[in-house]
Amino acid sequence: MTKTKLENLRLGIFVVIGTVLLLFAAFLIGNRQNMFKKTFEISAIFKNATGLQNGNNVRFSGINVGTVNGIEMVNDTTIRVKMTIENSMRNHIKKNAIASIGSNGLVGSMLINIAPGEGSSELIVPGDELQSLSKIGTQDMISTLNITNENAALLTADLLTVSKALTEGKGTLGRLLNDTILADHLQQTLKNLKQTSESSNTTMGELNRIVRNLDLEESAAGVLLNDTVSGGRIKNIIQNLENSTFQIEKITLDLNTIVGDIKGGDGAIGYLSKDTILVNQLDRTMRNIEQGTERFNENMEALKHNFLTRGYFRKLAKQKKNEEKQ
Amino acid sequence: MVNRIKQFFIQIGELSYFSSRFFKETFNLPFEFKELLRQCYQMGNRSLVLVVMTNFIIGLVLTLQSRPTMIQFGAVSMMPNMVGISIVREIGPVITALICAGRIASGIGAELGSMRVTEQIDAMEVSGTNPFKYLVVTRIWATTLMIPLLVIFGDLIALYGSALVENLKGQVSFQLYFNTVFDALSFGDLVPATVKSFFFGFVIGLVGCYKGYYSKKGTAGVGIAANSAVVMASLLLFVVDFIAVFVSDIFYEI
Repeated sequence: MTKTKLENLRLGIFVVIGTVLLLFAAFLIGNRQNMFKKTFEISAIFKNATGLQNGNNVRFSGINVGTVNGIEMVNDTTIRVKMTIENSMRNHIKKNAIASIGSNGLVGSMLINIAPGEGSSELIVPGDELQSLSKIGTQDMISTLNITNENAALLTADLLTVSKALTEGKGTLGRLLNDTILADHLQQTLKNLKQTSESSNTTMGELNRIVRNLDLEESAAGVLLNDTVSGGRIKNIIQNLENSTFQIEKITLDLNTIVGDIKGGDGAIGYLSKDTILVNQLDRTMRNIEQGTERFNENMEALKHNFLTRGYFRKLAKQKKNEEKQ
Repeated sequence: MVNRIKQFFIQIGELSYFSSRFFKETFNLPFEFKELLRQCYQMGNRSLVLVVMTNFIIGLVLTLQSRPTMIQFGAVSMMPNMVGISIVREIGPVITALICAGRIASGIGAELGSMRVTEQIDAMEVSGTNPFKYLVVTRIWATTLMIPLLVIFGDLIALYGSALVENLKGQVSFQLYFNTVFDALSFGDLVPATVKSFFFGFVIGLVGCYKGYYSKKGTAGVGIAANSAVVMASLLLFVVDFIAVFVSDIFYEI
């Protein structure tokens, strides 16, 4: 009989523990679904429920405070979502709080986020309706991303054709990049231009001096120059000429650097590329310029042999020969 | 072949008759309460260690095995949800019931079988005691009541084993693990599983008693009774499980 008593004691312990565990598990599960807490109900109107279901969590500033317990269609653009919120939250949620539908992680279930509104407001009372904010859903985000992606694809395709054309030497820029002869031509042209402008500069300076020296002589030039009004004008003109030669020099310097850049491949001129005719034209133009400068050179040469300036240019001729040799 | 099929239907019929007799006798007072407690102790407490061990290992192994796959999906944080739900819904009850089918159904089958063979049951009948009431009703009630409790213990231990692996391998604290598990669980998981385990217990007791009670004469009959009790109980468990899942799906939509 004592054995039976011990057995019964053990059985009793076993049964009690088992039952308590079962009840405890049931309580824990129910607790998560706010079954044993005092709650109150509020609602919010949304345009799109985006997959919300009964039992989804409601979060206030990131804390689980309740569950969704009803979703009903009011009309075709309004959906009323009812929420059961813990009673203790009545002291925290204010009337200007904003409800929005979010999701718990990228693949998680949907939930309602209640965020506190700005400024102060009264506390919420049961049955209140919160303002809602329709967030951009994942779907919208993905469609926007899709468009961006397509654009990026088009852009890269364009870039590819451009770079391909450049490497193949098509278009102005491509030719400039790859055609070394053209580059040499350009360089030569610019060098010539520089020389020309230098010589014209010196010529102008010389002319200036000569004109100043002529000043009061009784020659035709003197008479012409004694006329102070026209003299002033001519002076002005010469001044302007001088200025322009300086500017020409500057421009040629700039051109020189630009050409250097283009040759070095630093230029970012871009999309004009496919026009090969332009290159030919440029080529021809350059040749014309070359011819023009040569002729200008000749002219300058002729000027050198002019009786007025001959003396000065003899000095320079030696220097120039040295330069050309170099 | 025809004979076999016929035998199968005969067995089903006999089993049905046996269970209807059980329900009839249950409500016939007086109830053998002391014998019920004795049987409960035999089946509940004595099976506890076995159930705890198997479920602990199952929880441990299930977690260890599914962890690599979950890591591949980057869903290791979902481990408690997955393991918790599968243990509470299915693995806990089924494993516990199978273990008990092995231990209890064979025990009952052998015990009643040997009583039948040694004509103790006939002697009881002669002496005016209702052997069905004393032997069968108490045993079936004992299994029906004890299996759910064993399942609860088994579930808890299996979850503990799983939590242990998560704790050691994934630095998941026990509190976080059980929080996540109970977050994932709902009444729709716990209630059908518990109801189901009552039926499991009933099946184990019923089949064990039936096989033992109608055991063939002779010593070989005892062995056959014990053996076929285990086989039939295990088989019937899965059938019941299948039906239970179907029915619970109606009440608790997924």
